[in-house]
This record gives sequence, structure tokens and C-alpha cells, in this order.
Amino acid sequence: MGATSRSLSVRAFHTVRARVLLGVLAVTIPIYAGALYMSHEAGARRLEAGAERDADELAARLASEMDTVIRQIEGGIRTVAYQLEEVDSPESQYPQRIRGILAAWPDVYGSTIAVEVSPDSAHTEPFAPYYFRRGGNLRYSDLAKESYAYNEQPWYRSAVDGGAPVWSAPYYDRGGGETWMVTYSVPFFRKTDHGRVLAGVVTADLDLGAMRRAAASVSLGQFGMGWLASPPASESFVAPIGATAERSASLDETAIRAAGEAMLEEHDNFALLPPEVAAEPTYLAVRNLQTLQWRVMLAVPRDELLAEANGLLRRQTLWGVVGLLLLATAVWFVAAGVARPLHELAVAVGSASGDELSFHLPDGARRDEIGVLTDALRRLRDSLEDHIRLRAESLAEQARLKHELEVAASIQQSMLPTRDAARNLQAAEVAAALLPAREVGGDLYDYFAIRDGHLLFAVGDVSDKGIPAALFMARLSALLRVLGAEGHLPDRLLAGINARLVEGNDACMFVTVGCGVLNMSTGQIRYASAGHEPPLLREMEGRVRALAGENGAAIGIDALADYHLNEAFVAPGDTLVLCTDGVTEAEAEDGSLFGAERLIALLGEAPDGEPASVVRRIMDTVVAHTTGGFHATDDVTAMAVRFTPPGVEWRREDDGARWLLPVEPSAAGIRQALQRVRGILAARDVGPDRLHDAELIGEELLTNIVRHAGGAVRIAVECALTKGEFVFTVRDDGPAFNPLELDAVDLDASISQRRVGGLGVHLVKELADRCSYARSGDQNVLEISVLRAPAS
Amino acid sequence: MSLKITVVRSKPPTLALAGRLDTNTAPELDRELDKVLAGGRIERLVFDVASLDYLSSAGIRCFIRARKAIEPGGGKVAVVNPQPAVRKVLDIVKALPGGIFTSTAELDAYLDDMQRQVRDKD
Repeated sequence: MGATSRSLSVRAFHTVRARVLLGVLAVTIPIYAGALYMSHEAGARRLEAGAERDADELAARLASEMDTVIRQIEGGIRTVAYQLEEVDSPESQYPQRIRGILAAWPDVYGSTIAVEVSPDSAHTEPFAPYYFRRGGNLRYSDLAKESYAYNEQPWYRSAVDGGAPVWSAPYYDRGGGETWMVTYSVPFFRKTDHGRVLAGVVTADLDLGAMRRAAASVSLGQFGMGWLASPPASESFVAPIGATAERSASLDETAIRAAGEAMLEEHDNFALLPPEVAAEPTYLAVRNLQTLQWRVMLAVPRDELLAEANGLLRRQTLWGVVGLLLLATAVWFVAAGVARPLHELAVAVGSASGDELSFHLPDGARRDEIGVLTDALRRLRDSLEDHIRLRAESLAEQARLKHELEVAASIQQSMLPTRDAARNLQAAEVAAALLPAREVGGDLYDYFAIRDGHLLFAVGDVSDKGIPAALFMARLSALLRVLGAEGHLPDRLLAGINARLVEGNDACMFVTVGCGVLNMSTGQIRYASAGHEPPLLREMEGRVRALAGENGAAIGIDALADYHLNEAFVAPGDTLVLCTDGVTEAEAEDGSLFGAERLIALLGEAPDGEPASVVRRIMDTVVAHTTGGFHATDDVTAMAVRFTPPGVEWRREDDGARWLLPVEPSAAGIRQALQRVRGILAARDVGPDRLHDAELIGEELLTNIVRHAGGAVRIAVECALTKGEFVFTVRDDGPAFNPLELDAVDLDASISQRRVGGLGVHLVKELADRCSYARSGDQNVLEISVLRAPAS
Repeated sequence: MSLKITVVRSKPPTLALAGRLDTNTAPELDRELDKVLAGGRIERLVFDVASLDYLSSAGIRCFIRARKAIEPGGGKVAVVNPQPAVRKVLDIVKALPGGIFTSTAELDAYLDDMQRQVRDKD
């Protein structure tokens, strides 16, 4: 489900159209912004250059205005000085001349003619009448007061010391006109015989109000503010230009003057005021007027100056945004035209999930990449649907096969003998286990009673695993049952099975079979092997050995194969073990095989030969060997058969073993007991001669006992076996009777004299190595010892 | 395993015994023996025991019975071809002193010899 929801909901930011749009905008916006910036910068530069030109023009106009005033006054005063030199008029005419100056130039505030007092001069007394305007009238003041000492004043001394006309710096006339003024001082001389001698100084005080008015009448142009300022060394006189005074409240004129001077020192005519001077970014243009070294300073707020450029910028930005919006819309729709079918495809494909992998694709034949993609997806979907259908069919087929295999396994299991089959056996215990590597396997075990108290048992291992092996195994099982029940001995049985299985065995399967028949009376084993591992015999005492014997070819290969019948005996309590190579070749994780030695050791260590526990022990150990969990390498089969004739007891002893057999007091009972004894001795490798002797001894004794007791007697034979000898202890509860004390038979008597009977006891005494009799309680106890190897 | 008796009415009559001659089977031999002995005087009787695997005292009794029936009249009972175990038993009880032959040839030679003695005596 996670995949579905992811594919169906592409976040808006990640859609194709969004990506295209963002890509276009990411390129166009910086380009347009750059263009705007450059355009604006160019406009600003142009405006700044215009402002500078305006400043130049304004400065020129102001200089001209001022020059007009200044030149008139300079010319007039210098004319007065000239006249005073040329026409040596008396001092009494000086006031008249002064009033004439004031009358001639309304901008002149006051004027004086101060005489030079010196020995060379015609004047001996200071004389300096001063007329000035006040309230529309002329007032008179005598500067020749001792307290004033005009000849020490700057306006006097600068002209005298320089010997030339000079303008004073502006000053505020405190106590006089109470106004800003500059004074023009012109020295005048008297011609004497020694040449020209300084006679005095003519001055005119120019009221700077005239300057102020002149400045105020000048238009500022695009500048918002302007000032006319006095030269730096003087007292600071600053006159606002134009309508500056109305809007310059926020600016400190002194600070602006200082900033302007600083700019001039750096030859910088046009710059932004430092922020401590003007909070609002403001341009300042500075010009030096040649006239009197005055300065013109013009200021304009940057926003005001660049208003046009800024306005243009705003309009351009506005149109730019509109243009970008139009572009974005166009791109959006173009991208959508491309992305919509893609999105439809994504939704269609994304709707497929889980088991429902089919999806509906948009119809219509496009000839672009989308069309190619749609076709490809359609083909993909179709083949996917095919695959899914095939997979479903395959799964159904698998399920059917699995079910069939389970049934087959169950059928195969039913071919194996049930536990009840083992329970019904008279003189044997059997247990077996089969662990198939797959559901069905090629291993087989079987056992069933056949004629005359015989038990047939077999273990087979088909040369493969799985179904072919199972089918072959089924044929083997059927043949084994049918031919085995006919009573054939294992050699002929295997030959018969082989002859049938070779026929039409085109698959070249083969099977190894170990097959034996146990005579449940005597313990005789007749055994044949078709390529199978020899069975192992665990003797009751714990010794384990492989049953030697001739092996034959595996079944299914050679139609003419024949098999050798091997014979052996087992004693009561002995256990025969047959395995398939799944046991010995069980492979551990490290590759080590279970091995025959391990199996032999395992059987020897078993506490007894009880088949069920022996088989369980084998299977458990094999499974544990394959690192804790059985993994299918080969079928594993083990079968154990223990010979347990009813009534017979057995016991393991330090130096051997002991069996106790009840004997039924009849000819048949004796016969059976003798067979068992013979079987026990044969199973423990007693030679044929001694077997014969033992049987003979047993028969003579038992026959005697039965005959003597007359039938109603309980007899038991104990057979003890050590390395060197075997001892029969025969107990019966008949009347006391010691057969060893019977009269000896005269063997040398002539035939007519000779007794027919009485030979049995003689035979026993002759064959046994030791005989003894005791009456123990109500039992006769006969003990007969026989050495395994005859004494001589 | 039982006893198989084959009566060969040749001269001398021969009883071929196969299998076991013991307490259980001795009565069968006794019955055959009775039939043979009932047929008239017999001078010689041969037990071919080549195939006799087992012999107990009960069987020996049969041989001694035969001897008692034949030998007092000058006849002879012979056992031929005994297996070692059977021979051993026969020897222990001295069942047929001088009457055990390891092969038919030896028996024939013995019988020929006897025949000659009888002829010479005649």
C-alpha cells in the first residue's frame, strides 16, 4: 500500500510542471533583476551627472550675482581713494564724501575715512568719522575714540600692511549694525616730495544681508537645499539659498559647511553626506566661488534626486512582475500539457498493487514519447497479466502436486509395516524408523512372519530420491510381500525380485536390499544382500560385529544376478540392525560423515538391544550429527530385530552370558530346547563338533529325565557360556534321580548278552568334560561342563 | 529335520538313512527294521549313513536291535559311510565293533572276503 500512495500523490513541489516552472523562473528572474539593476544604476548616474551640472550652473550664477555687488563697491571705493590722493581735500570734507558713498550704494551699510597719524603725515590727530545706516537714516559715529584705536583694527591694518585694497572676512558687527558684514578697505596716499605717503584708509561695510537676499532670490533647480558660505578661515557665515530655510530645519548648517570643506580638501565635488550629518541619505555638491573664496553648497535627498530613476524602477519592476506572471502562466500550461498524460499514466500504473496488478491505460494514440511510454506500459501490463495468470496456474499446480505428494507419502507410509505387525510376532521384537529426505523417499523397510515361525525382514535403498525412487520402492515393496510370502529364502527371493525389476527398467534405477529370514525357534538367520551394507549384530553381551557374508549385485541391473545365502545364528537377546547408507553417510555441516565405526560404537554403548530404543538412539544421533536439524541429503532408515523366544531369559555376566530355557517335557519340547541351545552355541562361535556333542548330551539327559519322571515334570536348562567352556545346568522337580549312578553298560559283552539301552548316560559321561549331580530341595540338579575345544 | 529312510532291497539289503536319528525318529527306523526282519532270515544288513547328520543313543539302540536279530545267526550288520560325529558316537558306545566301514568299497571288500570264507568253509 505504501508504494501505491507514494505513486499516486506526487507532492506539488515535485511535479513535472512545478519543476519546469521553477527552472524557467530560476533563470529569468535573476536575468531580469540584473537588467533592472543596471538600468536603474544608469539612470541614477545620469541624474547624478545632471545634478552636478546644475550645481555648476548655480554656482556660476551666484558668483555672478555676488560679483555684480562686489565689483560696484570695489570700483566706487577705489575711486574715492583715488580722488583723495589726487585732490588733497581737507578732513572737513571727509564726512561729505562718506555720506556720498552711502548715498551711491544702497548695499553699503557704513563707511569711514580713517587718517594715518604719523610724523610724515599731514595729520597729527586721529580722525575717522563713520556714517552708517540705521532705521532709514544716516548715523554718525566717531571711530577716533581712544578706546577704539582704529589703527589697530584688522580692517585698517590689513589694508595698510598690504598697501592694497582688501576685503575682510565676514564678521558680525556687534554693538554696531548688529548684522553680518564684510568690509572693503582701500589705502590712499599723499604725494610728497619723498613720493607717495600713506594718508589713510577708506572703507565700506557691506551688509551681507544683500548677499543673503541675492542668494535667496536664486532658484535651486533640482536641489532642495543650498547655502552660500564664507571662506573657511573666517567666522562662519552661511546664507541659505532659495527656499532652503523652509526645509533645512533637520540639517545643521555648520556641520554641512564642515562636510563641504572636507569634500573640497579632497577635491570631491559631489558626494553623499555622512550619516551623522544627514540621517536621510543626501547628496551634497560643493563649489568654490572665485569671488571672496566663498563656497556654494547644494544638498538634495537621494530619494528626491533619484525620484525619476526610482519611479522608473518601480514601473519597470511592476511590468516585470506582470511579465513574469504571464511567462509563468504560459510555462505552467505548456508544462501541464506535457505532464498531464504523464500524470495520468502515473495514476493508472500506481493504482496497481498487491495481487491486482492490472490497470487501465489512457486510450488514444499519441505519437510522442508519452505514446511510446504508454505502448510500452501496455505491453508490460499485458505480459505481467500473463505472468500472474501463469503464476497462479503454477501455484495451483504446485498445490495439487503437494497434495498428491502428501497422499503419496501417506500411501508410502502405509506400505511400511504397522507397529501391530511387530506386536504379533511370537519370538522377535522389531522396530524401525524411516526419515525421508523429501515427502516421499526411496528407502524401504519391511518385516512379516512367513511359514513355520520364520520372520522375514528387509531394508532397501533405491538409488535416487523423490517420486521416481518412491515408485520403484513401491514395486519393490509389492514384490517383497508377494514373493516373500511364498516362503522363498532370501537368496531366491532377491533373485526373483531382481528378475522382475530388471524388466523394462529403462530408467536404470537400482536398489540395494538387505534381506534376512529369522527362524524364531532356533535363532538361525539366513541372509542375502543385494549390494547392501552387511547387517550389524549386537550380541546380548554388548559386542557388535558385522555379519560377514557374500554380497551380490544391486537389484535392477543384471537380470541374471544371483545371490548367496549366508547363514548365521543369533542368541536370544541378540539384536540385528539394518540401516541404509543414509545413516552412515549422514553429513555434518563440516562435511564429516556419520560413519560405520560411529554406528558400531553407538550400538555397543546402548544399555540393551531393545529394538525401539536402539532405533531411536540411531535416528536421534544421526539427526544430531547433521548439526541439530535434519537436512535432506538422503533418506535415513534403521531397523532393529531382536530375537526374543518366549519364556527364554538371558543375562549378561562378568565373564560371559547365561540363558535360561524352560523345557516342555515332551519329545517336541526337548527337540525345541535342543534347537535353541544349539542356536545359542552356534551364535557364539562354538564349532560344529562341539555343537553336536552338546546336542547329544542335552538329548540324552532330557530324554532320561522325561522317561524317568513319567511326563509330569518341570524342567529348565540353564546354559552358561564363558570364554573357555559352556555349562549346562538341568533342573527338574521330578523324583530324586541321579542318572550318573546308573549301572555301566558292558560295552564288550557279546551281542546276545548285550543290553539294548543304557547307552545315553555313557555317551554323556564320555562327551562331557565334567559332570555332577545334586539334589537341591525338591530339584534334581545336573551340571555338565563342556570345554569349547575338546580336551584331546 | 527329520529322518529319511530308503530301503534298498538289494543284496545285501541296505537301509539308507538321512537326517537325524534320535529319540523322536528312532521309532520310525524300528518300524522299517521290523518290516525288513519280518521278510525272512537275513544274513547281512547294511546301514548307509552317509547322509545321517545326527545320531543319539536312541538310534544306536536300533543298530543294536538289528545286530541282536541278525548276528546271533551268523549274520552281520554293517554301517557304512558315517560322518565323523556319527562315527564318534558309534565308537564311544562300541555299537558295531568291526562293523563300521568308511566307504562302500571297503564294505564290499569285507563282504567279498566274508563270502570267500563261507565258500571256503563250505
